[in-house]
Amino acid sequence: MVAAAQENATSTAVRAKARRQRDEELLVWPDLVFVEFIAAMVFLLSLTALSIAINAPLLDRANPGVTPNPSKAPWYFLNLQELLLHMDPALAGVVVPTIALIALGAIPYFDNTHDGQGEWLSTPRAGRLTFLGAAVGSIGTILLILYDASKHVVIFEGLTGSKWPVGLNFLRTSRALQNDLPWPEWSKKIPLGDFIPSTQLGLPKIVLDLNIAEFLVAQIIPVSTMVGLPILMSIVLWKTGVAKTRRDHMIAQFSGFIAVFIVLTIVGTAFRGQGMELLPPWLVKPPIS
Amino acid sequence: MASTERPEGRGMGDRIYDAIFHSYFWQSIFRSGYPNTPRNQMLAVATNVFLHLHPTRIHRTHVKITHTYCLGGLSFFLFLGLTITGVLLMFYYVPSVERAYEDIMRLETDVRFGILMRNLHRWMAHGMVIMVLMHMMRVFYTGAYKPPREFNWVVGVVLLVLTLLLSFTGYLLPWDQLAFWAITVGTNMVGSAPLLGEPNRFALIGGFEVGPNALIRFYTLHVIALPLLASVFMAVHFWRIRRDGGLARPL
Repeated sequence: MVAAAQENATSTAVRAKARRQRDEELLVWPDLVFVEFIAAMVFLLSLTALSIAINAPLLDRANPGVTPNPSKAPWYFLNLQELLLHMDPALAGVVVPTIALIALGAIPYFDNTHDGQGEWLSTPRAGRLTFLGAAVGSIGTILLILYDASKHVVIFEGLTGSKWPVGLNFLRTSRALQNDLPWPEWSKKIPLGDFIPSTQLGLPKIVLDLNIAEFLVAQIIPVSTMVGLPILMSIVLWKTGVAKTRRDHMIAQFSGFIAVFIVLTIVGTAFRGQGMELLPPWLVKPPIS
Repeated sequence: MASTERPEGRGMGDRIYDAIFHSYFWQSIFRSGYPNTPRNQMLAVATNVFLHLHPTRIHRTHVKITHTYCLGGLSFFLFLGLTITGVLLMFYYVPSVERAYEDIMRLETDVRFGILMRNLHRWMAHGMVIMVLMHMMRVFYTGAYKPPREFNWVVGVVLLVLTLLLSFTGYLLPWDQLAFWAITVGTNMVGSAPLLGEPNRFALIGGFEVGPNALIRFYTLHVIALPLLASVFMAVHFWRIRRDGGLARPL
């Protein structure tokens, strides 16, 4: 008897909830279909206006013999081309984008709670974490790029009026770690290929020479920077109590990633002149052949 | 003599209206008139082949422009626009090293609206990359990838990659210095991968350097292979949105 009454009450509540939800709904025709139509028309008209105003670029006929300086990829790959200047080409051009895409695809499998679902930045700390993540990502990237272009040397020399100490030359860029430190001769060529018994399997001998300094500069430092700094950010946010849930960490990481992506794209597009030298945009000249 | 009230004859406007919209032919295309009752409006959406991608009702917050900024829909719209302008460009373009550049020049000078078609195609392509990236950000910040929508996010990431590949393969086709060197730089990045890099690069451009083989490969990928693949993933993407109950709602 009581159970029946309870069930009845529940179903009434469920029905009432369903009714309330129905009241919150609008008809797709006209409320959505017309919005879509207007959005499509606005875009069609503004793109047509843009196309009348600005012509698509067309340079001279392709000539494999004449390499423009600088040669740049399409803008959405300039972030990778920018990375290429700071690390091993295989790492920048293939490994990083592959892992970034896999990590991007894996987001829902790490952050599978329902926190913040269906509304813009609706979890308590979302806005602050978006800002912090984006700030850390963009400022960190800019500082690293400036370091690799020896801008800290320029600032030091400008402030103190004296030359950068010769003893600290290895801190001019990350590449200077390899060139300006007295690496012992044996560390420059360690024939790792000798340790792989490929000849015993009837396969050609594998040549794999390891240069420790080169490996440090082109692989270890970039990888630990790209993996370590995001982890460090999450640890700091966690210890300071700014990020508490998985969604919090995901917002900070994703915002950081987007900021890094945008900064690298802008630097690669507008701040790289001839020889991919770091320049302010007003000094970047069109490519010369 | 008392005048009898007589019904007025139907005016010219009414008769033209009837002749068009109540004609046998018109009604064979559009079986009912403008849907002006809620029931007919829902039927209009549910029974129309183009509109039935939508549900018939939608939560009022999802109609607000600031919830989605129409970014996903606009990405699809740009894909359609690129298909139409792309087909028109295909009429004039031959993907051979001898003709490609001259065909683009001719398109700009000899073909009526040729330059407009090419400009539209170019700016829509850049627009689509931007829209897709912004759509991804919208989905992230509205937490719309959460269960049960995890896999649709993955499909979205695949579509992002396909969009970039579509744009990249199209970049080579004008066969000017910009195209040639951008693709050389881009494919050199592929070539730098450990072990499989060089074979992949060779397969992609059909040789050791960008040449006639690369042009025909990029053209084929650009006009048929990648659009077909993208269409399949888009179909899955849209279908799953409906299967998962439309746009995400707070629990």
